[in-house]
Amino acid sequence: MKGLTELILKIGKVDRRWIFLVLAVVVFIPILTPIGMPIRATATTKVVYDLIENLPPNSNVLVSIEYSPSTKPENHPMTISILRHLFRNNQKVFITCLWPDGQFMAQDAIQQVAIEEFGKVYGEDYVFLGFRPGSEAVIKGIVSNIRKLYTVDVYQTKIDEIPLMDGINKFSDFAYLFSSSAGYPGTVEWVQYAADPTGVPMSSGVTSIQVNEVMPYVQSGQIKGLLAGMPGAAEYEALIGQKGLATSGMDAQSIAHLVIVLFIILGNAAYFIERKRSKKY
Amino acid sequence: MSSTAILGAWIAVFLTFGIFSYLYKDNPFYKMAEHLFVGVSAGYWTSIYFWTQIQPNLFGRLWPASEYNADSFWYKIYNGLGFFSSSIFPEGGIDKGHDMYLIYLIPFALGVMMLLSLIPKINWFARWGIAYTVGMAAGLRAYGYLNSNVIGQIKGTIANLGDPNMPFWSLSSPSIFNSIVIIVGTLTGLIYFYFSKEHKGMLGKISKVGIYFLMISFGASFGFAVMGRISLLIGRFVDLIKYSGSQFHYATIWILVIMIIILGYDAFKDRGKNTPVSEDVVQ
Repeated sequence: MKGLTELILKIGKVDRRWIFLVLAVVVFIPILTPIGMPIRATATTKVVYDLIENLPPNSNVLVSIEYSPSTKPENHPMTISILRHLFRNNQKVFITCLWPDGQFMAQDAIQQVAIEEFGKVYGEDYVFLGFRPGSEAVIKGIVSNIRKLYTVDVYQTKIDEIPLMDGINKFSDFAYLFSSSAGYPGTVEWVQYAADPTGVPMSSGVTSIQVNEVMPYVQSGQIKGLLAGMPGAAEYEALIGQKGLATSGMDAQSIAHLVIVLFIILGNAAYFIERKRSKKY
Repeated sequence: MSSTAILGAWIAVFLTFGIFSYLYKDNPFYKMAEHLFVGVSAGYWTSIYFWTQIQPNLFGRLWPASEYNADSFWYKIYNGLGFFSSSIFPEGGIDKGHDMYLIYLIPFALGVMMLLSLIPKINWFARWGIAYTVGMAAGLRAYGYLNSNVIGQIKGTIANLGDPNMPFWSLSSPSIFNSIVIIVGTLTGLIYFYFSKEHKGMLGKISKVGIYFLMISFGASFGFAVMGRISLLIGRFVDLIKYSGSQFHYATIWILVIMIIILGYDAFKDRGKNTPVSEDVVQ
């Protein structure tokens, strides 16, 4: 028992750089040799899937990209899975970006899904409207008059010359909104300035760190379903039956969490043992 | 594989390891990556904002191609500006699908006023631009928050208590129990931040309940934050593994080995000196 106590105390005093190294190793190994842990969709993910699945074909769907390369591992797999699902069901997709870097993320997803996987035609099956600065003002602009805000698309083609834009004048012309968000401006602003005032259903895919902030809107029904971080993306990949980066990352995610929990337990144990000893003497 | 892609991979690997190297200690690789990140971000954002907003939506509305008239005084100014930069002010006006709106001279003037903050003698001009931005943002957000965060949340949670079809018990879906928890959590949390009366007696007990709700919320946030960071680490590792292949000329392996040798040599040179890890290394 004394030996164990000494070992815990020793671990409690270990240089933090060793902990970083251990974490790096436990994340690295499962990526190289995946275990294939089971992935089961949570209720919030299932709601997003069901909502898209039940949209009538040729519905106008707005997909907003609000993330940058810094959160690509969490948001990008969601965007790709959502686009796959939408194109597979022959929906008409309109893509906007509230973040400037989102334009590159969107371009990458379009290239992979719309062009390479589904061979969709630009201007007939999907439109890439691109980025406009202004945060909430952009959302307000889309809600009131999208044509005033976007006179040209990302390729500088006039909106009036794009066939798919016929009949699209404001946010309420869309049947559904999916916001792939990593912060401000993003999901919360879409709820406040678009979904709530118009009643257009929206779902969201957010980074893990945002889940707590966004979950109240999901619980109250203001957002219909949520993809929560990398696990949410992995669950969606499982639902559409097409595995991707999120699924392959979940083994590393699970093992890393176990190791972190172990470190937290050991660190706390060391703290309490030390406190008990200092009281004793 | 194109040479640009290979070069990009080497730069990405170098910057990734440069940032990671801070976990060992502050060093020139980290500084280089950090400064590059800040500089490139500033330049990139400036460029993006200019070419997606100022040029098409501001200048495009002041001098649209649809109303171009080379003989008018207004477009003579435009042509004069075009002499300095034909890419910003192309010949024949800016063709971005806009009509002329001279009212956009007001935001143009406010924008110029904000830039005047760089000149100390007349930097007070900037207050006009800032005042407009703050006022506009406050007005815009007041509506959004009131509608979605107050009314929307009340409608979606507390108001549900009167719904006869609502089940009493369910943790994962709307239920009377969940609504009661939300009401209790909100009220006790608010009372915890009520400082006009000393937290004693009943008030103290209620605010203590509020603390528990806050602690649970912070714990959940911490858990999600850890999950997010691990996800990002996985993303970087996936890229590093990809770039370690022969098509990228083993970029990951080369850069890792070179960095370890340089940092190792530096540590060897400084042996005996006490160089503690920076205090702010991932607290």
